[in-house]
Amino acid sequence: MLEALIKTALMIGGVMTAAAYFVLLERKMAAWAQDRIGPNRVGIPLTKIKLFGLGQPAADGLKILLKEAHTPSQVDKRMYLLAPIIILIAALSVFAVVPFGSTVPAFSLFGFEFGDIAENQQVQLVVAPGCGIALLLIFALSSIAVYGVILGGWASNSKYSFLGGLRSSAQLIAYELPLGLGILSVILATGSLDLSVIMQHQAEHAWFAFAQPLGFVVFVIAAFAEAARLPFDLPECEQELVGGYHTEYSGIKLLMFLVAEYLHMVTAAFLITILFLGGWHLVGLTGSSETTTWFTAIVRMIVLTTKMTLVVAFFMLVRWSWPRFRFDQLMGLGWKVMLPLGLVNFVAMAIFYELRTNFDHDWTSWTWGLGVIALSWGTAIVAWFVTSLSGAVMSDNAPRRNLDLYEVDSQI
Amino acid sequence: MQANDPNIKWIAEPQLGLTGKMYLPLVAQGLTTVMKHVAKAVIGQTVTVSYPEEEPTIGNPLIYRGVHRLNKDDKGRVKCVACFLCATACPAHCIDIVAAESPWNDREKYPESFSIDELRCIYCGMCEEACPVDAVELTSLYNLTGRSREEMIFDKEKLLSVYDMTKDKEPMKSTAMGGTAT
Repeated sequence: MLEALIKTALMIGGVMTAAAYFVLLERKMAAWAQDRIGPNRVGIPLTKIKLFGLGQPAADGLKILLKEAHTPSQVDKRMYLLAPIIILIAALSVFAVVPFGSTVPAFSLFGFEFGDIAENQQVQLVVAPGCGIALLLIFALSSIAVYGVILGGWASNSKYSFLGGLRSSAQLIAYELPLGLGILSVILATGSLDLSVIMQHQAEHAWFAFAQPLGFVVFVIAAFAEAARLPFDLPECEQELVGGYHTEYSGIKLLMFLVAEYLHMVTAAFLITILFLGGWHLVGLTGSSETTTWFTAIVRMIVLTTKMTLVVAFFMLVRWSWPRFRFDQLMGLGWKVMLPLGLVNFVAMAIFYELRTNFDHDWTSWTWGLGVIALSWGTAIVAWFVTSLSGAVMSDNAPRRNLDLYEVDSQI
Repeated sequence: MQANDPNIKWIAEPQLGLTGKMYLPLVAQGLTTVMKHVAKAVIGQTVTVSYPEEEPTIGNPLIYRGVHRLNKDDKGRVKCVACFLCATACPAHCIDIVAAESPWNDREKYPESFSIDELRCIYCGMCEEACPVDAVELTSLYNLTGRSREEMIFDKEKLLSVYDMTKDKEPMKSTAMGGTAT
């Protein structure tokens, strides 16, 4: 009980602080991509110490907390209040099953015993250890987050919010499928939904980014869409929809939406790291044994968080690299490219793993391992070529010139 | 205008090449460009000027349009002849001149008082262009601040003192730009 409480406090405190500082990182990255310096003034209050602007998140948070929490007169008040609460709770409870390290040896602190020292037990660094349905839980909760978005858009009683909510629902449903297909082949390989087991499997065999390149690409692209980050940020694109589903929100309710959005990104980064980039594993540094000493435990924690931060930095670089998709292109990409690629990856992996298990029962042969990896890279390259050259996302943008005027009118 | 108007020139969208269709090469290209900028900014090559700590460099002070000044001639007298051309040209009506009989022999009038409302001014430089004797000029002083509206109405003495402040750094435009007027 105490153990779970401490882990919860660590995790919630950790991700909330991380979300705040990722906002600063994002602003810094934005500035750097545009040859600017970025926020560097706010340091310790009432002194002249600037600390490279590290006080900025606290100042931002305080500012938005002290702002007027205005509720527009025409909104559906209960739903309007419920939406940010739902989305924040869903975004936070995901972290119950996301590990932030591998394990630490049992220890006692202030007379409390964590793990069984006598039996040399290991304490797992996850709020709900041994959760057999971890991935399902993450998916269920991220689907609930969509309700928050749609409720917020609907309850605001504003056209911009409503359009944002609609776009979000279509987008999230379209991209949940390839996301699931990307994960399915990982589950197929590991035989478990528990994230700790998946990381352990990768430490013993190979990172899934190498073993399942196609699944990795599909999952990363779908994760961008799920986190509603550019180039998939259609639910809240500023240029078209003011702020999308949170246009009508202000003060602390807006803060909840924004924090939840960042938490979605952090979750996506954690999932990419854990499912495909080996989690805490780094060749030559962390080892791959199931038990840890204090040294390896801390190294593994650092490796995992570093990888996660790098993925978040990648999310932020992508934001300044490519323009946003048009909505029909987004849907075309989702249904015509991502879904078939995900299916191809899933079926190919199923065949390869079945073959390997038949001839190499306990997955120990190097030849078979490398052979399966080579096969999956071949499949990935062929599938990518076929989908790209078939022009699935190409659309004819030329205006239809042979229309008579009355036809144009009737279409408007 | 209809879609089939013969005056419209239709231009076909350029076709994507193989790299464009494969998508990933272009993705890598875009990412590389951004990475280059980020790397440059991280080692300190930015375009930002941290203003209170460092002053921006003004490209050519002679064509910058900042605070006004009233020029003096070589005998230290105000050059202005109170012809009202600047006040007439001013689109913001911020110049107020009271003319009087000149105490000197070489001109008929001189400004008894000459004031410019720096808050009302839009810094268009029309007064400078209108002046026939190059008496009123815009300097490169850009950080103009004050504590009250009254303080920001610059009178003759203040404008002449701006000339004393800036005459070494910024010579009179008539001479600096090759003119002959004195």
